Amino acid sequence: MIDFLLFDKYVYYIWFSYLLTFGIIIILFIRTKSIHKNTMIQLRIKYTREK
Amino acid sequence: MWKWIQAFASPQNFYYTAKKIIPWFLYPFIALTLVGLYWALIKSPPDYQQGDSVRIMYVHVPAAWMSLFIYVVMAVAGGIGLIWQIKLANVVAVVSAPIGAAFTFLALVTGAVWGKPMWGTWWVWDARLTSELILLFLYLAYMSLNNAFDNPKTASKASSVLAIVGLVNIPIIYYSVEWWNSLHQGSSIGVTKVSMHIDMFIALLLISFAFKFLYGVLILMRARDELLVREQNSRWVKAVVMEGKNND
Repeated sequence: MIDFLLFDKYVYYIWFSYLLTFGIIIILFIRTKSIHKNTMIQLRIKYTREK
Repeated sequence: MWKWIQAFASPQNFYYTAKKIIPWFLYPFIALTLVGLYWALIKSPPDYQQGDSVRIMYVHVPAAWMSLFIYVVMAVAGGIGLIWQIKLANVVAVVSAPIGAAFTFLALVTGAVWGKPMWGTWWVWDARLTSELILLFLYLAYMSLNNAFDNPKTASKASSVLAIVGLVNIPIIYYSVEWWNSLHQGSSIGVTKVSMHIDMFIALLLISFAFKFLYGVLILMRARDELLVREQNSRWVKAVVMEGKNND
């Protein structure tokens, strides 16, 4: 099982690529969630002021 | 059909329908990613020339495909918004740009990481790599232009024109390896022929579909928020925000 983690002399290149992909996917989700949170906060402030 | 499209494309309908659709993209994305990773890292064999480094292909190639696919979606949606003034089309174009830029960045970096052990260099000013870098600049220019205007309508018009003009770069990227002498390898997947091991092809397809579903999830989530901002003077948005009708 450990063999599949080593990938001969390419281990750093391969794992860097997969970790970067994973990182970018996580960042895209976090950014999406934060946009949602900010949108709701900004709109709530706007509507509360208008009351 | 046209009536159905009109009904679905109405901001309010889309907002509620998108929420129901999101899990239909999220769960296939997770499942395909897990199975795809198993195929890419364990099941697929090493290449007879490139050895295990070929495993970088399973993230590099799908990311490059997505960078082209999302740009075409963005330009077509921008064009629809420009011609038929469909609000949702403009929203789809605007929220696609950062996702497309992320995939283009990923394709460029994983390509460089694959290039180092195979070509002996991280980067060459070769037609495929340079045209893909131009694609990243087009995404960045689109986002900058879109943020340069206060009025979303004006912003959408200007950025849609840029996206449509930039479409000319897509066939250049795709055919660059055929039109010019390139260090980059040609396509291993044709319409009638696949010149790679079946397990490699399966791994590539699984991760490609996973990325498509990921794009679906992200675009639906982001489009809902963009619609709230653009329709903030509508009563339904006020109801969603103040009464917590969206339950998010």
